Amino acid sequence: MSMDTVLFWFLSLIVIVPALAVVLLSNPVYSALSLVMTMVGVAAVFATLNAYFLAGVQLIVYTGAVMVLFVMVLMLFDLKHDLQTFSRGKVSGFLKIAGVGVMAGLLVGAISLATKKPSLIVEGSPLANELAAAAASGADNTKILAENLFLRNMLGFEILGVLLLVIAVGTVALSRSKGGTHARD
Amino acid sequence: MGNSSLEIIINLAKTVVVFLMMVQAVPILVWLERRGSAFIQNRFGPNRVGPLGLVQLLADAAKFLNKEDFVPDKGNRLLFYAAPVFALIPAAVAYMAMPMSTPLKIGDSTFLIQGYEVNVGIVFILGISAMAVYTMLMAGFGSSSKFSLMGAMRASAQVISYELALGLAIVGVIMMYGTFNLTDMVLAQQGAFHFSGFGREFSLSFLPNWGIFYQPLGAVIFFAAAFAESNRLPFDLAEGEAELVAGFHTEYGGFKMLMFFIGEYGHMMIASGLMTTFYFGGYGIPGWTIAEVYQTGVSIFGSETGGSIFSSVMHFLSYNVKFAIFLWIFIHVRWTLPRFRYDQLMDLGWKTMLPWALFNTILTATVIFLASQYVI
Repeated sequence: MSMDTVLFWFLSLIVIVPALAVVLLSNPVYSALSLVMTMVGVAAVFATLNAYFLAGVQLIVYTGAVMVLFVMVLMLFDLKHDLQTFSRGKVSGFLKIAGVGVMAGLLVGAISLATKKPSLIVEGSPLANELAAAAASGADNTKILAENLFLRNMLGFEILGVLLLVIAVGTVALSRSKGGTHARD
Repeated sequence: MGNSSLEIIINLAKTVVVFLMMVQAVPILVWLERRGSAFIQNRFGPNRVGPLGLVQLLADAAKFLNKEDFVPDKGNRLLFYAAPVFALIPAAVAYMAMPMSTPLKIGDSTFLIQGYEVNVGIVFILGISAMAVYTMLMAGFGSSSKFSLMGAMRASAQVISYELALGLAIVGVIMMYGTFNLTDMVLAQQGAFHFSGFGREFSLSFLPNWGIFYQPLGAVIFFAAAFAESNRLPFDLAEGEAELVAGFHTEYGGFKMLMFFIGEYGHMMIASGLMTTFYFGGYGIPGWTIAEVYQTGVSIFGSETGGSIFSSVMHFLSYNVKFAIFLWIFIHVRWTLPRFRYDQLMDLGWKTMLPWALFNTILTATVIFLASQYVI
């Protein structure tokens, strides 16, 4: 077994075991912390695929910001009460079955897609050539990523940005309409 | 990693050495902090144990090791024990990516004077050091004490808020040097102040070509945000003694407490190292380029290996002088400025530093674009 294979299996273990723990553990705080571990593992997998920039961004955005907020909010809850309602409700039971269905669909999709290459990286396309050249020279592909985002797919990138803004404004509007942080229930 | 097995072994050993360097610097910093604060406040400070009180720290360490291993009764034991260990990891891993000197060339082998080189150095360091928040959250939750939880909440909110300003202040630097690689940045700051733009060449022979002269606003924002990131005064609301006892480490004592301390000092070191690398020429020596240092070494020792060793040592010293100056500023500021109120802290982060950092980014981008397109 080469060094890369050992690393791959090790990182797979680091991604999959905490990912299972997210679902199987009953304490939500442990689940959230396991999800953090999964994110770190995914970042490491990105790094082994030479996508260093993506790995760094994964660390900054997901582990550094998104998951911190998750963990923070979870720690403020009355966990014993929520644990009961979440693990023994009809709605949550339905959600679990739906979750299993979505998961099964994703698995089938992933397996069937893994046998063919995505259209963007077909052999001989300009992007594939650039990626191959970058990988051969040992340089990072941050520049290719930037050119793709800001020159070739500018419109899509901007639309995504506007979408995120809409979500942010919508969240603030929704929370304000019910009295914001001073709401009485 | 390396070509021969010797290189691989040395490169692996280096990561341990950098970690030990970091941990060993902490007692010196603690001593400096206590003596320095004493001088600032016209006191003596620790001066009984050993010359100048230097052995005080060994006495402290012995005391820490002998303390009771206390866990709160209703606390979460797993998180309570895990938190101090995790406090060390992000700081140590991030500091290893810092370039500290020119590579050492002995024969065919090359050894970098840094734990390991990451191509996207800045993104890596920011990403790893952002994970320090979990330590505080785990400690705060694991202690199951209200003071601890409040301290942890404050600390994480503060760190997330200031991370934005910190990241945006660095964007200017990245655009200016056109790279994420820290070593490339240091090399770009060699020699005397010079740049070309608007179809001309500008140069000033008496100034070094340091980032601070191109990005003064970015440097100020970065340095201020770095204080908040490492939870130092004037931003140490996480452990505001007056209202929160000691914040997230209220329930900790003995060696576990010391590990939080090492983590905090580690973040101070990362901030000082980044400040040196981005804005003050990294390991470069003002008025003496890397090639000149190397030539001097060759002429003194009469061999290329000698020149390389001389260059590495000189640049390592240069880096550490700058690094130590920033650490001293960190300590001095702590004993000079009072603490912010919580609303002032949030106002400063979101309403002052974030807009100025954005302005700095846009200004830098505009100037770079104009300088490359137009001729005056």
